[in-house]
Amino acid sequence: MAAQTEHADPAADIDRALTNLREGFSARFRAAATEQALRDENAKILGKKGELTAILKELGKAPADQRKKIGERVNALKQEVEAGFEACLRDLRKKARAAELDAPPFDLTLPERLPLADGGHRHPISLVREDVVNVFRQLGFAVFDGPEVEHEENNFGHLGYPPDHPATDMQDTFWTTGEAGNKLLLRSHTSNVQIRAMKSVKPPMAFIAPGTVYRRDDDATHSPMFHQIEAFLVDENVTLAHLKGVLAEFAERIYGPGTPVRLRPSYFPFVEPGAEVDIGCVFCKRADGTRAGCSLCKHTGWIEILGCGMIHPVVFENCGIDPERWSGFALGMGLERIALLRYGIPNIKLLFENDPRFLAQF
Amino acid sequence: MKASYRWLRELVPTLEASPSDVAARLTHAGLEVEGTIEYGAGTESCLVVRVAGVRPHPTKSGLRLVTVDRGAGPSQEVVCGAPNVPEPGGLVVLAPLGARLPAKDLTIAPRAIAGVTSEGMLCSESELGLSDEGGGILVLPPGTAEPGTPLSEAVPNARDTVFEIGLTPNRPDGLGHVGLARQLAALFEIPFEAPRAKPEALAKVADVATKDLVTIAVDDAERCPHYGAAAAVDVTIRPSPLGVKYRLQALGVRAISNVVDVTNLVMLEYGHPMHAFDLDRVRPDAGGERRIVVRRAEDGEVLKTLDGVDRALVADDLLICDGAGPVALAGVMGGASSEIQDDTRRVLFECAYFEPRGVRRTARRNAMHTESSHRFERGVDPGDVAAVLDRALALTLELAGGAAAKGRVHVQAGAARPEPEPIARRAIRFRGSRVREVTGVDVPFAVSVGILERLGCAIVKRDGDACEVLVPTHRPDLAREIDLVEEVIHVHGMDAVPAELPAIRASRDVGGREELARRAKEACAAVGLSEAITFSFTSARALEALAAPAPAVKLDNPMAEHQSVLRTTLLVGLLDAVKNARRHGERDVREFTVGPVFLAPSGAARSERDALLPDERLRVAFALAGDRPAWLEKPKPLEVWDAKGYALEIARRLTGKPVSVAPAAREEAPRHLHPRGAAFVEVDGRRVGAFGPLHPDAVDALELDGEVLVFEMELDPFVGGAATPRFRAIPRFPASARDVALVVKDGVPAGEVEAAVRAAAGPLAEAVRLFDRFVGGQVPAGHASLAFRVVYRSAERTLTDAEVDAAHANVVAAASSKFGATLRS
Repeated sequence: MAAQTEHADPAADIDRALTNLREGFSARFRAAATEQALRDENAKILGKKGELTAILKELGKAPADQRKKIGERVNALKQEVEAGFEACLRDLRKKARAAELDAPPFDLTLPERLPLADGGHRHPISLVREDVVNVFRQLGFAVFDGPEVEHEENNFGHLGYPPDHPATDMQDTFWTTGEAGNKLLLRSHTSNVQIRAMKSVKPPMAFIAPGTVYRRDDDATHSPMFHQIEAFLVDENVTLAHLKGVLAEFAERIYGPGTPVRLRPSYFPFVEPGAEVDIGCVFCKRADGTRAGCSLCKHTGWIEILGCGMIHPVVFENCGIDPERWSGFALGMGLERIALLRYGIPNIKLLFENDPRFLAQF
Repeated sequence: MKASYRWLRELVPTLEASPSDVAARLTHAGLEVEGTIEYGAGTESCLVVRVAGVRPHPTKSGLRLVTVDRGAGPSQEVVCGAPNVPEPGGLVVLAPLGARLPAKDLTIAPRAIAGVTSEGMLCSESELGLSDEGGGILVLPPGTAEPGTPLSEAVPNARDTVFEIGLTPNRPDGLGHVGLARQLAALFEIPFEAPRAKPEALAKVADVATKDLVTIAVDDAERCPHYGAAAAVDVTIRPSPLGVKYRLQALGVRAISNVVDVTNLVMLEYGHPMHAFDLDRVRPDAGGERRIVVRRAEDGEVLKTLDGVDRALVADDLLICDGAGPVALAGVMGGASSEIQDDTRRVLFECAYFEPRGVRRTARRNAMHTESSHRFERGVDPGDVAAVLDRALALTLELAGGAAAKGRVHVQAGAARPEPEPIARRAIRFRGSRVREVTGVDVPFAVSVGILERLGCAIVKRDGDACEVLVPTHRPDLAREIDLVEEVIHVHGMDAVPAELPAIRASRDVGGREELARRAKEACAAVGLSEAITFSFTSARALEALAAPAPAVKLDNPMAEHQSVLRTTLLVGLLDAVKNARRHGERDVREFTVGPVFLAPSGAARSERDALLPDERLRVAFALAGDRPAWLEKPKPLEVWDAKGYALEIARRLTGKPVSVAPAAREEAPRHLHPRGAAFVEVDGRRVGAFGPLHPDAVDALELDGEVLVFEMELDPFVGGAATPRFRAIPRFPASARDVALVVKDGVPAGEVEAAVRAAAGPLAEAVRLFDRFVGGQVPAGHASLAFRVVYRSAERTLTDAEVDAAHANVVAAASSKFGATLRS
């Protein structure tokens, strides 16, 4: 027995073991029928207590001058085994996927099941949209549909935006890759519907246009996609006073009785006079109707909610309507802002992540 | 635009309104004051003092004890760590005990500094709220004021209220203090006179004439209708006095040197950008003549602008050139070659009117936005060139000495002349009645006209309650009658507009999609799904993973690659929601979305022009993931039959019609669905949607980490509304039910067995329902037991057991002959 030990050549033993392993591993992998079996086989070779690890432990017994060379062989083999394992794994998965896709079909003629569930939830933007649409419907407005991908002239030109004018900076627009002569954009406001309505319907008309709009803006208060509702009335003898009347009615119905409204002059190319509309802050309102001022209204007691104005004569002219006979107003509001304020949502991004825990709150 | 309250009061001396009143009135006239800044708020409680002695701090190197003379009263010793304490006699600023320094939110109190108590502090500009300069204390020029004078009295411009005005792009006149002052005067009903340089300020005239110093040629009179120039000689470049420095700094402009500061002051005053050349650095041409040429660039020509960037130009860009080449991008930014330097002696001022659209195109092309381009692209006053040049010269003589060169050069319509041709003012007919017709407010004609006059308009050809209005050149936005009406109501006040509810002649919906979408959302919410609002943007890669049509709309300027095309399936956004929820550990997702997909133009558009637009098709879709909602049960994963249940119920509610499900044969299954479980939803025999488990390859490609059931359906075919239900009589006679359990081979579709049962049971069978499916136990391998309940009823009478049994006997026989079914024993 002692003689065996004497004659033992550790380097040759290791060499033999490595050769055996190299010749055997691939067949062992191929024999595995399932992913688990393959993983088990791989662990038997490469695991902490695996065969290759065991061989490596013998390395110390080999003569010092051969250790480096053997070490290199061990590493090379390790890489071979790993590659072989990965290949077999891919193969197995491919086969499993093919088998799964080829399995007999589910019997979809079996009766359907409609699970009992908590009630579904409407998105806060949708809730606000419906409320606003309803208010305007009750006042006599109807809905006019318009496309989200639009011709430049309906979004800008006919609305009185001069070419190369800084007014277009107010809305950083998404353009499509269409060829010249067919310059399309993602509408930057729902005001394109004004043009479409006035070009296709004879006055009088009272329409709203709720819809999705797009601008190149992305931060805590801006989303590149958001929603607006446009409302416009065209008739004889429409005045700014009528606009204010409709706004007052809107504010009372959406924000509560007694909500004050004020117009602040502003500029939009397609209305004149143009104004921004503030309502009395709904967050710091006291019981007596006065307002204390709070962070949401920047301590002014007023919150800006929309832009509006009298339809510009140039818009009428562009649509073939006589501005001496007809007049009208238009107003447009962002729905996200109303929803954020109404529900106390701190960041616009939450509206578009569609987290089930978010949606379930409304 | 930042505006100085102090400056506005200088321009409207009788204006007494407080800063907050001024802000409120401007805001209510459409020049919104978005904020106010108290500039130099620390200067009121700080004093000019004279350094009387300086000695080192007893223990700490770097600190010094400075004795300062405060004028009246005893002198005082304070500790100071600044490196630039002047020699005795120098003037510095002391914050005495109790002084408030709002810029640092500090009130001065006695303070021990390394063992020495200091009862005051010598201040830097940053501590006084004058600038960001905090490296050393503020040392005032000799003679600034007597010791003991508050700094705000010694240098009044060091204390100001600055308005931040959010100007709309139609009001270029508001980009200068003169324009704002004119508006204020109109609002407060104060007469207003635009400032002009006083003749005595221009009294020092040199022998040389501007036109002999330089030749000016304008090659493109369309893009540069007016180029004005004036020169000053023998000037001395030095820092501007503190009053000028702080006026500029209050408005966010850094003071540089007297002549450069002059151009900025004049720009802030008139809103008209100007440029100052060092005349001796304007290079002569090959013939030795000093020239300024305004011309269009050649394609590929390069100019290094002042910001150090080499700009490659195109033929649409307008250049200012000297004899050797371009020196400035007209109206946007200068070049470095002819800048004012410390040794400049002769200055040429440029004041021009550049065509706004051209300036804007150049600025946009080069992604530059400068104080100058901002003003030119909105439209500066073409009529104030001479006044601006005079004002710049007067200020230069005051701040830099020297003398004005004789005469000016004005190149208009390409021709040089000594005085500018007056600009023809636009005439607009104005009817007083229009104010009431547009605004509903009865503003008397005289009041309207008064407002327009105060804004600089001239009234001519008055004819009853109408007149012709000559618009001033500083208001390019006043182009037609409605613009005048707007001015009247702005100044008169929009608060005067009453609120009146109009009698609306009602319209009818056009398109009908809003109502259609609302019904779809309601149907989905009613069956327990929650509404997601998903982005229309996605990536071509995601669409490909779902085997959806290739994008029909690609964006030229997307914000990100994953938002670069518009969706051709609603599923992308829903699956994003599933992925996000799972990433947050939320496994149960039951969400729907309603919205358009954007497909290639269909040709079905109403107009030829609209035929170029993509086909926006309204759809509804849902995604189901996780466990089935259940009551007090061990949760089980949702299955394809759940998807079938949701899909059928939504389709039924939307259409009001019978809806059927057609399992998709393997070869025709939509490629985004699992071939084992794909099915079509049919209404009136027409496929309107499909549902099933998502294909595992799509699950992998979209990294969804698990199975998802999906459904997508067209909505547009149902825009007319759901079919109206027809009443059916409620049965008066009782029903009899019979159950039957049939054992059939695997692979026999249950639906076909059910259909056979229904047919065999005959007309008395009112309903057939599969209520159990069982495998294993006594049922042979490869078979399943299907248990049906058949309900028999007659509308005319109560059925006898014998009648029911007879009808039911056919069921087993039919099933047996058709499917080899046996009765389960």
